[in-house]
Amino acid sequence: MFDRDDDVLERVVDRLREPIEMDPTLDARVMVRVARSSRRLDWLTRWWDWLRQPREVSIRPLTALAAAAALAGVALWLGTKTSTQGAAGLADTTVVEFVLVAPHAATVSLVGDFNDWDAATTPMHPVKNGSIWSVTVPLPAGRHRYAFLVDGARWLADPAAPRAPDDFGAPSSVVTVGG
Amino acid sequence: MRQARWLIALGLTATLPRLGAAQDPRLERRLDSATFAALTPVLDSAQASDLPLEPLVQRALEGAAKHAGATRIVAAVRLLATELGDARAALGTGSTSAELVAGASALRAGAHSSDLAQFRRRRGAGVTVPLAAVTDLVTSGVPPDSAVAAVLALVALARDDQIVDFRRAVERDIALGAPPAAAAAVRVNAAVREFSQNTPGNQPRRP
Repeated sequence: MFDRDDDVLERVVDRLREPIEMDPTLDARVMVRVARSSRRLDWLTRWWDWLRQPREVSIRPLTALAAAAALAGVALWLGTKTSTQGAAGLADTTVVEFVLVAPHAATVSLVGDFNDWDAATTPMHPVKNGSIWSVTVPLPAGRHRYAFLVDGARWLADPAAPRAPDDFGAPSSVVTVGG
Repeated sequence: MRQARWLIALGLTATLPRLGAAQDPRLERRLDSATFAALTPVLDSAQASDLPLEPLVQRALEGAAKHAGATRIVAAVRLLATELGDARAALGTGSTSAELVAGASALRAGAHSSDLAQFRRRRGAGVTVPLAAVTDLVTSGVPPDSAVAAVLALVALARDDQIVDFRRAVERDIALGAPPAAAAAVRVNAAVREFSQNTPGNQPRRP
């Protein structure tokens, strides 16, 4: 049993003792690789040193203005992108019907947070012989202040909705749309 | 010295777009120059505090539409900015603009900051409708403490539409002559009984 193992071991040792033929170009190739890697390290070190060194920078006013304009342009572009995304979010809205009884009115507008308080944006339409005025508006989730503007001059709160605190001496109402 | 001058100039040019963002073109169009100039620092300050600007712009536009004077418009916008800040402190920095507007209204109606925080704790996300209901109940004549207690009792049990139905029922009772506090108490007891037996999780949601 042991003899056989010794035999195997001896053969392995003999095999290991045999001289190995090396590639004659190996040394040269290794040295080239070492030189290359050291060159790369040198290049990085030089850049790092350059970045860390304090130095004076002189800029022409025109260049500075151009850079500022470019920054402003990027900021504006980002802002436009954001507001476009906001407009896309309006798809998630609830349609609300606003109704006012105003038999003697010639025009009635719905004016509020949802139309930038612009009387021209949402005119109401007369129904039932012109005594009732109505309009439907898609509203996003939230609490919206609004009022009716009768004949372009008279502000009325919605009698069918809760009143909003009056900050400007003319009544407003509120409507809340769930999210 | 020359370097310092350049640094200041670069700093100013970098902040220009940020300041400009608060100058909404809608305000420039609709406000006179004096009101616009007086309002700009208020909006810049709100923007620096990361408050939502749109509700402030809308309040200014409301003032312009109603032909209010500069002092009144600036005061209203400044007050709203303060209320939005208070609402955010109570509801948390992750609150939506709609939640902050509803929270600001509830604070003005008489709710406390601690009440707003309780709404957030009990409901988690989506406190706009409950806070708006508190404000509307107070507007109908329900004392602020009773309104807060009533809606807080429902906030974990009821959906938004059920809270709106509750608020409408109380307003109807008040219009028919019921004392506001009593109307709120009677309706909230009935609603709590109903919703406790039939929890929201077991009911199909409306489309």
